[in-house]
Formats: sequence, C-alpha cells, structure tokens
Amino acid sequence: MEIVVCVKPVPEGETRLRASADGASLDPEAVKFVLAGYDESAVEQALLLKESLPGSKVHAVSLGPAPRTEEVLRAAIALGCDAATWVDSGPAASPDPIDVARALAAALAPLPHDLVLLGKQAGDDEEGLVPAALAEFLGVPDVGHVVDLRWDAGRSRFTFRRAVEAGQETWEAPAPLVVALQQAWNDPRTAKLPAILKSRKVPIARVPPVALVPGVGRSQSVRFELPPPRSGARLVDFQTPEQAAEKLVKLLREEAKVFP
Amino acid sequence: MTERVLVVGELLTDRLSGSTVEAIGAGARLAGGASSVVGFLAGATARSRAPEFGRYGVTEVAILEDPACEGAPVAALVTAVVAAATELGTETILLAGTSFGRDLAGRLAARWGATAATGVTEITRVGSTLELRRPVFGGRATETRRIEGGRAVLALRPHAFPSATEAPCETRLRPIVAPAVPELLRAAHRTGLEASPGGAGPGLAEAAVVVSGGRGLRAPENFRLVEELAAALGAAVGASRAVTDAGWRPSSLQVGQTGKAVSPQLYIAVGISGAIQHLVGMMSSRVIVAINSDASAPIFKVADYGVVGDLFQILPALTNEVRRVRGQ
Ligand SMILES: Cc1cc2nc3c(=O)[nH]c(=O)nc-3n(C[C@H](O)[C@H](O)[C@H](O)COP(=O)(O)OP(=O)(O)OC[C@H]3O[C@@H](n4cnc5c(N)ncnc54)[C@H](O)[C@@H]3O)c2cc1C
Ligand SMILES: Nc1ncnc2c1ncn2[C@@H]1O[C@H](COP(=O)(O)O)[C@@H](O)[C@H]1O
Repeated sequence: MEIVVCVKPVPEGETRLRASADGASLDPEAVKFVLAGYDESAVEQALLLKESLPGSKVHAVSLGPAPRTEEVLRAAIALGCDAATWVDSGPAASPDPIDVARALAAALAPLPHDLVLLGKQAGDDEEGLVPAALAEFLGVPDVGHVVDLRWDAGRSRFTFRRAVEAGQETWEAPAPLVVALQQAWNDPRTAKLPAILKSRKVPIARVPPVALVPGVGRSQSVRFELPPPRSGARLVDFQTPEQAAEKLVKLLREEAKVFP
Repeated sequence: MTERVLVVGELLTDRLSGSTVEAIGAGARLAGGASSVVGFLAGATARSRAPEFGRYGVTEVAILEDPACEGAPVAALVTAVVAAATELGTETILLAGTSFGRDLAGRLAARWGATAATGVTEITRVGSTLELRRPVFGGRATETRRIEGGRAVLALRPHAFPSATEAPCETRLRPIVAPAVPELLRAAHRTGLEASPGGAGPGLAEAAVVVSGGRGLRAPENFRLVEELAAALGAAVGASRAVTDAGWRPSSLQVGQTGKAVSPQLYIAVGISGAIQHLVGMMSSRVIVAINSDASAPIFKVADYGVVGDLFQILPALTNEVRRVRGQ
C-alpha cells in the first residue's frame, strides 16, 4: 500500500506564547518545532499499516518554511517513513488554510497514494480544514474523526470508526481515501539514535508551492492576543460539605449566571 | 442591499442542532435580519424538517431530499450546497461547529473558491471586510483573521453565539437540483452506529455544561459520582486521560490535547490536577469550577471558582443541592 502522511511543524506544547511587538504574529519563545500532536498519531498509524502490509511505503509531506519543515520531515523519516517531500513556503507568514491544501494537493498528486493520512487538526491554528480541502483538490473522498483504521485485505477495503457527537460510527471505504485521524496513541514510537543519524542522509525532495489562484476568498491573520492570566480561583470557604455545595451553587447562579 | 447568508443545517434526532440555531442567530445579525438568512437542509427528511428553520424567522430553505447523503462522506453534499449558494447569490456560508460542520467546511471552501475558518467566536463586518476572532493554541491565544471580500465558509464554535430568537414564520422550500456526485467521491459509507454511553445526554463537544472526573476518583466504580452530578445538571460527562487510559471510561470522553476540545458555559473539574495537556482542551470554557483536595493543584490557576476539599464528601452534597434547586 502506498501511504502519504501530511505533517505540520508546530511549536512544542509546553512552549510559552508571546505576541510579536506589532501583535500581528505569535512568537514562540522557545522555538522548538515538533510534529503536531495528531500528526504524530498519523505517522504511527501509517507505520502500523505499513508493517502489517508487506511491500508498503510511507511518504511524508510537509509545507512550511526552513528550517523547521525539513526538521519535522527528518523526524518522520527517523520514525520509519521511507521518503519525504518538502513544499517550501518561503518565509511568508500565515498562509490561508485552503491555499495550504491546494499546495499540498499539487505536491501530492504525482505521488502514488492509496491512503492519505492527516491529523484531525493542528495544535496551533486548530482549523481542521486542510484534510477535507486537500481531498477535494485531489478528487478523493475524505472522512474525518477517524479511529481504529484497518485494511481488510480480503475485501480490499478500509474499515474504521468515527467518533462523532452521536456516538461511534463504523464505516468502510475502498482506496483511495483521505483520512483525518482523531486517534491518539498513548505511546507512539520514538526514533532510535541510529535511525536519527541515518535520516540525516535521506534526500528530501523540495518543491515550490503552486502560485496563488486569483479571485478566491482568502483570509489573513492580523492579530494575536494572549488572554490576561486568570487571577486564580475564588475559593469557597465552608465548614461542612453541604455548606460548600450551597455556596458554590449560589455563586454560579447569582454571580457567574451560568447555572441552568 | 444587505447580503444574504446561507446556514447549512444539521439535524440531531430530527431537530435542528443547538449549534445550527446559534448559526441562524449569527447569520441574522450578520445579514441584518433573519429574513436575509437562507437555510439549507439535506437528507431523507429534509422536506419535512425544513420548516424548523421557520421557527427562527427564516423564510426560505434550500433542500436536497436525498437519503443517499446520510452515512456518506460530506463530498456527497458539497455539490448541492454550492448549487444553493450560487442560485441565491450569497458570499457567506455559516456552519454549526460540530464534527459535521468542521468536516464540511474545508471541502466546501475548496470547491466553492472560498476561504474558511473554524471555531469562530466573533464575526464583524466592516464594508466588504469580515473580521473573525477564534481561539488558537488550545485557548492560550486569540487570533483575529481578516477576509477582504470574497467568499467565506465559517464554522462557529459551539456556544460562542447566542441562539436565534424564536419568530415563527412560513418557510418557502427551494429544492436544489444538483449535478450527480461522482461515484468515487461517495465511495465511503457508514455501516453502523453505536450510540454514546449516556447517549441521551448532550454530546461532549456541544454540551453547555460538562462535568469531568480525574484520577482523584480512585476507582472506576466511583466515577458514578461524576455521572450523578452530570445527570442532575443535564450535563455531558468528560474525563482526564488518567481515567481513560486506565480504562475506567471510554476514550471518547477524554478532554484535552489528545482528546476532545470543549468550550461549555460551565466546566466542572473533579479530582483533576490540571496538567497542561488537559487544560488546552477546556481552558476556553466560560466558567471553570475545580474541586480538588490539593490547594496547590494547577487546576486552581485557571478555575474561576474552587472548592478545596474531599470530592467524596463534596460531590454528593453538590448533587443533592443541584437537585434541590432544580426541583428534582
Ligand atoms: C503527549 C501527551 C498527551 C496528553 N493528553 C492528555 C489529554 O488529552 N487529556 C488529559 O487529561 N491528559 C493528557 N495527558 C496526561 C496529562 O499529562 C496528565 O497525566 C493527566 O491529565 C492527569 O490526569 P488527572 O488530573 O486525572 O490525574 P492526576 O494528575 O493524578 O490528578 C489527580 C488529582 O486528584 C486530586 N485528588 C485526589 N484525591 C482526591 C479527593 N479525595 N478529593 C479531591 N481531589 C482529589 C489530586 O489532588 C490530584 O490533583 C497527556 C500527556 C501527554 C504526555
Ligand atoms: N503546512 C502543512 N504541511 C503538511 N500538513 C499539514 C499542514 N497544515 C496542515 N496539515 C495537515 O492537516 C492537518 C490539519 O491541520 P489544520 O487544518 O491546520 O488544523 C494537520 O494535522 C496535518 O496533518
């Protein structure tokens, strides 16, 4: 099976955030970029499928500026991806998410792809738009909120579940398919040192993004604000549990006005 | 002339979902009145359910009466939504912020030549420019995006906008005749559905009130204390990863970085320490209450109200008090 996995470099979860002087962008103080949380799971899922289906290949694709994009692609190779393509977006900030999908689709279209795996949403912009838009540009169906993805070789079908509001749905689909993964593994594999060293020598294909299509709607990020730090909880003082309950309910009803 | 806004409706057990009603309200404000909002509804019951839009003053609803778009990928719908938007000459489509709306947004925008944004909490229009605000980085920052003209597909964050006011009116139905969707694009299909545990309650992502339990509950059987409070409040139940990893409750209830992001009006964290991976999933809730025996637990830094105490004593008392004031 030919699998493509799209990974996005995002600031590491613990990074403290700070707005730039003009407020127009966000400067992560510590500039450690890592695979977005769900993308780590997408890579893990791709590698599990590859291991269960001999002859499979996993190709990682990422769009972004140097050097972070190349770094996360090397990390994906060190984990076990076979090849990588870097769509070099140049230094331009905050591209429109649909333009990102269009550029990824152009880079991906020539690669064989029975399955394209993405994260449900990236931990930075949290748009969750790229997977479905990418599928549209590729002309392939897409499904989101996917967990437990498997390949049923006998029937040549993917089987999976979707975690949505109403509950867990079971689904099936033939290849090709674009999947936005919602699943998180507790312990996705970590790269071993020899693999990390070897990944430095694997060539990464570098392609320019496609030219912007004129006349389509486009959004631009203009400002980031950090909320004032919460001042900390107002503690309810009480003698008995009953009194604590009574005071809390009163505060929620009369002060916070949230009590239904 | 004011611009018309298309609101794609979602049915939950045969009614418009709460998020759809919020989208109608947001659309009415954006377009200068509910009569400038046009509804869209697809599915086997589209015709019989479309008048639901009329409860909120929406006079026209585009319908796609096609049972095949249920349990099919969103691609099966996109052609019809685009056809409706083109017929009506609208530039803006609003969607509920549920998994349905989020899945539809990207594909719809790509097909329609639009930009898109999800998790939107505010929309303002200045001339032909739309300005949006939305939380990013798990609620640790708020982003403002600007759309300078052109088409836009916006999925709204649940509870960020007030529901549309009731103003019953007659609705005109406009059946949409859309070109057939290629077989390839509808090749995936649903084969079954297991309703969520506690299925009758609101879904985690859409609930106005969420009560979540953590490792402080000590054992799976104690988790019912959380469920009882949730039931008394009509709330959804959530859990920390410590709970779902231990298998006390299914992972579909996990809130946080690797679980669901929630933003209810009220979030009650019980026996949860407040690790950053949990906080990013709930920090944008409007009001946060923490119940924890350790006064130095980080959850108290983000909470609005705190009770430092033993959950095994506080929780039953709180459930009783809630039942009492709600007359249960
Ligand atoms: C990559 C990664 C992703 C993660 N993703 C998530 C995620 O999505 N969601 C998530 O929740 N976690 C996530 N985690 C785990 C997270 O770091 C914490 O380990 C987890 O949230 C802790 O759960 P907890 O608060 O229930 O348990 P603990 O941290 O053990 O806290 C239990 C709390 O209960 C209190 N307590 C104990 N007894 C009582 C009592 N009798 N009365 C009142 N209070 C009591 C204690 O004081 C303590 O504060 C992730 C971790 C990693 C590394
Ligand atoms: N710049 C990018 N390069 C590669 N993949 C991306 C990029 N942006 C988004 N994705 C993929 O799309 C998913 C959803 O991202 P988003 O739509 O930005 O929330 C991510 O988890 C990635 O799998």
